[in-house]
Amino acid sequence: MGNHKRDRKDKEKRKAKKGKFVEDQEDSQYDEIDDEPEDPQSVPKIASKNDMDKEISTAAEDEFGAKDYRSILELKLDHNARPLYVAPNGHIFLESFSPVYKHAHDFLIAISEPVSRPEHIHEYKLTAYSLYAAVSVGLQTNDIIEYLKRLCKTTLPEGIVEFIKLCTVSYGKVKMVLKHNKYFIESRHPEILQKLLRDPEIAACRLVKEESHLKEEENSEKKSNSKVYLPGEKEGVENGNEASKVPDDISNFFEKMDKDEDEDDKDLKTVSFEIKQESLENVQRRCIELEYPLLAEYDFRNDTINPDININLKPSTTLRPYQEKSLRKMFGNGRARSGIIVLPCGAGKTLVGVTAACTVKKRCLVLCTSGVAVEQWRSQFLMWSTVDDKLICRFTSDAKDKPTGCSICISTYSMISHSNKRSWEAERVMEWLQNQEWGLMLLDEVQFIPAKMFRRVLSVVQCHTKLGLTATLVREDDKITDLNFLIGPKLYEANWLELQQGGYIARVQCAEVWCPMTPEFFKEYLGTRTRKQLLLYVTNPNKFRACEYLIKYHERRNDKIIVFSDNVFALKKYAVKMSKPFLYGPTAQRERLNILDNFKMNPKVNVIFVSKVADNSFDLPEANVLIQISSHGGSRRQEAQRLGRILRAKKGSPIDEYNAFFYSLVSQDTIEMLYQSKRQRFLINQGYSYKVITKLSGMEEEQLSYGTRDEQLKLLEEVQRANEADAEEEKMPLDAFINSKKVFRRPGNMASMSGADDSVYLESRRKNVHPLFKKFKKR
Amino acid sequence: MNGASHALKRLNCKDLISYLKTLPPFILEELYNNPATCLAVFRNLPEVARHYVMRLLFVESPVSQDVIKHWVVKGEVEKHEKSIEALKELQVWDHSPIPGGLPGWKLKPTFRQNFKVVMLGGGTSWTRGSALEPDKYTKDVDSLEKYAIDRWECVLNFLVGSPSSREMLTADIINLIEYSGLMTNSENNHYITPAGFQFLLMDTASQVWYLILQYLDTVEDRRMNLVETLTFLFEISFASLGKEYSAEKLTDGQSRFLQHLRELGLIHQRKRKSGRFYPTRLAIDLANGCSNTISETVNGFIVVETNYKIYAYTNSPLHTALLALFSDILCRFPGFVVSNLTRESVRNALAHGITAYQIINYLKSYAHPQMLKNKPILPPTITDQIRIWELERDRISYNEGVLYNQFLSQNDFEILKEHARERGVLIWSNTAKRMMVVSLEGHDDVRRFWKKRKQDS
Repeated sequence: MGNHKRDRKDKEKRKAKKGKFVEDQEDSQYDEIDDEPEDPQSVPKIASKNDMDKEISTAAEDEFGAKDYRSILELKLDHNARPLYVAPNGHIFLESFSPVYKHAHDFLIAISEPVSRPEHIHEYKLTAYSLYAAVSVGLQTNDIIEYLKRLCKTTLPEGIVEFIKLCTVSYGKVKMVLKHNKYFIESRHPEILQKLLRDPEIAACRLVKEESHLKEEENSEKKSNSKVYLPGEKEGVENGNEASKVPDDISNFFEKMDKDEDEDDKDLKTVSFEIKQESLENVQRRCIELEYPLLAEYDFRNDTINPDININLKPSTTLRPYQEKSLRKMFGNGRARSGIIVLPCGAGKTLVGVTAACTVKKRCLVLCTSGVAVEQWRSQFLMWSTVDDKLICRFTSDAKDKPTGCSICISTYSMISHSNKRSWEAERVMEWLQNQEWGLMLLDEVQFIPAKMFRRVLSVVQCHTKLGLTATLVREDDKITDLNFLIGPKLYEANWLELQQGGYIARVQCAEVWCPMTPEFFKEYLGTRTRKQLLLYVTNPNKFRACEYLIKYHERRNDKIIVFSDNVFALKKYAVKMSKPFLYGPTAQRERLNILDNFKMNPKVNVIFVSKVADNSFDLPEANVLIQISSHGGSRRQEAQRLGRILRAKKGSPIDEYNAFFYSLVSQDTIEMLYQSKRQRFLINQGYSYKVITKLSGMEEEQLSYGTRDEQLKLLEEVQRANEADAEEEKMPLDAFINSKKVFRRPGNMASMSGADDSVYLESRRKNVHPLFKKFKKR
Repeated sequence: MNGASHALKRLNCKDLISYLKTLPPFILEELYNNPATCLAVFRNLPEVARHYVMRLLFVESPVSQDVIKHWVVKGEVEKHEKSIEALKELQVWDHSPIPGGLPGWKLKPTFRQNFKVVMLGGGTSWTRGSALEPDKYTKDVDSLEKYAIDRWECVLNFLVGSPSSREMLTADIINLIEYSGLMTNSENNHYITPAGFQFLLMDTASQVWYLILQYLDTVEDRRMNLVETLTFLFEISFASLGKEYSAEKLTDGQSRFLQHLRELGLIHQRKRKSGRFYPTRLAIDLANGCSNTISETVNGFIVVETNYKIYAYTNSPLHTALLALFSDILCRFPGFVVSNLTRESVRNALAHGITAYQIINYLKSYAHPQMLKNKPILPPTITDQIRIWELERDRISYNEGVLYNQFLSQNDFEILKEHARERGVLIWSNTAKRMMVVSLEGHDDVRRFWKKRKQDS
């Protein structure tokens, strides 16, 4: 029996591994550059301890195959007043209707990763990274444990306490601070610095001044005002009436922690030593090896060498509460921390970036993914801040402004990390970039950049603070965690549902429209084993008709509609048949902007067809309907990014009504259904719900194409004539750059490319028979 | 027995009226000797029928059927027909020609007499509320509620196979459960049936009513008097909660029935021999029959989220087992269960005869107070999805048929196909391959036509 069980476990493990492997490949389009094995020393060892499920779950299983924690946890008497359950595997369940929700929520966001945040009960997970982020914003190990204990309805599992200690004991204790243009290693714990200095490699990097033979110098500098006031911030933070139901120990502790954060540096003495600037890299690497990763902080107010730039937010610009909160995390103790801020698309990430630049007031480098995005960042800078147009320099293949005298540079990742020969002009700009010392680097859509490309950027550009901005910190591979150590911890992650309720982003109705395959197409689909399958389910006449119907329906409501298709063949087919404008990779920059401008301004252009070039950073505030006819397999990120295109809050519409629509058209009984269920997972966890539409009412009355069988057969013929290459997805410009040197042939089939294999594995993973069903004898 | 067909059997739960309709007239006649029965029947009659009874209550002579027909407006004839039918079947009234020979209706004397007692009072007390000495061990309403639920959960626990529940029930009740088809017995082990699964997901009032109906079916076998039993049942259903009643004047059969009800939690009696009993809410709700309304008394504890997670604030193994019927339990805390609704788990439940309606209804009935603030209570995506999972099982329908192929000429094929199509017995045809399938009923006809044609040519 026991033997058998072990067998099963082994098998599961193997399966899990396989699933992981497949997932790794899914986002390969961006990560091919990463094929070489990662430098194992770039992330601390603890990072690999991330998966607590395997580490700590020793809990007994009950008769349903569920983990049974009832014997190890004890319910507190006043459990009703406390909002949390903490499972020994690191999962935390939070009641959003609890009176203490506000306290608990802020705390959990700081120490753990949100897994799902629907309406009533939120799920979080403690990970090594999240705890790293927690200590880096100033939380102490004991405070975390103590507060968690108080919030928990039950006793805290032993393993959790150990895990928190293990992850936080060495993290966040040592900071690298750039003060007066000298690099210092700073810590509140002298013993840790001693320990570091005993390491010969670090000792060699230490800059020992002749007059000081002291091991550590007391940092007795008085902080005049450690609190940074963000421009545009409103005074008087709301601290309204706390519900009396909140247990005293929770509210007291919460206040204490709140205070802690502000008074960080006042009452504690810190010790520090200076290091040589040229050996900076070495110290950083060595510290990670020693399990004391350095937190980068930038004391920008005391930086006298880099000139201040004249930039401020316009008086008319106001920050929304969550934007302010996120920035507060960044400038928590009077210095600028590096890190990542996660806000949904359309929630004003750009404004957060602009405000950060206005706060630091040093030279600022903005990196984004495409030329269109560069233009958008520039116009946002001009819109929100008082910056002079002349101070902004664009550096793209199309627009190379003169860099002299500029203090804000906007470029793309590929421009900077380009390693091939450049034009003479570009070479000059690059030189200039390399010679500057940047105060702040803003990294837009940070989830896209493969670690390696990112390192190349970092090696080229010197900067003090890095701020990553993203909407979706998910990747189908686990590369996302590397970002934590390359850029910094996640500083803030907004709750989509709460923003929606606050009216900051649009209220979107998501729908999955099921389009039955026509018999001819389905027969062909079943008979095809190549990637042409994709063409068949994308061009399914019923899907075409559904798409056409939805377009007509929304055109009549005067909506602005974007239709997404990853597949270019289908994109053209649909757009030409319906005579609508379309744009995709090869469309020239000028034409692109032209089409987008028309879509924005021209009341006659209400529909555009776009390929996946428009997934990111295409700011189309007018659009409120999105129809997706083909997509990149099971990518959760793409789904979220696309939803982001219509998330920008719509003016003048009531908050409690749906004012944006997101349709995914899927061909029934094909592999698309599987992809779709996988794609939705991220958004579902954010509290979105997909309505399944099996039949669009009113479709019969409409005049639609491909109504007759003959027309459908003709379409089928055309699809059959299309060649294999047409079934390929479009290559992104970013890929084109990455792949310019080698030709890739990906192993595996379509399903494994996008992680569909994984779903199958998920489905069959649990074969637990209900004990009741066991009793039910089939005869 | 064939497993598949067994699984498809739906649990049939009649309401009070349809149950009474199945009884032979003389039993009904006897039942109406008790005012409580009359009132119970009256309350469950259709609205129009209740009007008729009230109008005719003091009319001693028959009333013409035509006259009664004119009591309703034109559009409501259907209701009228139904009411007439119900009153006839329940033996409340009977045909009786009016003077002059035209057909008329007349209330049955027993019913009339006893229903008058209900309306006007008088007669002997029919609720056994006789003067009792004050009870040393009075029970308040709350403890009665708790007692009833505890006892009833014993029955449910036995169904889900909790080991300890076996000793809590007597052989009589176990036999009853077996008889009801909720469990089967083989080699002294009990196995739950599809009907049992469906039973578990019904609301408590319906469960009680279903089991009592089954009990009534077996009354004769127990050599008890059906009329006595039913009368007693109706009496206690008009009792008031928290009041004590005398057990002194019960017949032997009724006393046995009382003990069974006690075991099921419909009645509280401190000791078998104590001369008093307290009916619980389970008993008092009985006369409402199989209601589809959500009982208000239970405290909801289930939170259903749009991400297909189900969170249940419960310690009860029974509720956990029920949840596990259609969802995967992920982990259990003290007082808290986390489970996940998946396609597989729901399909598994569907395969065991549980319907989507039952799952949704169960989740709705026990919804957490926080969920009740929403409208609809459950997220529509979840309910839709459960229904879709149920529907997708019905995508293939089977038709029995006979295949015709190897036609020698296209002409033969076309003619036969046309013939079958005209008759409406053609299920499928493929002209290119000259194949067609004809339904089983049409087979003889098509074959005859084919033979005749061959002979003719």
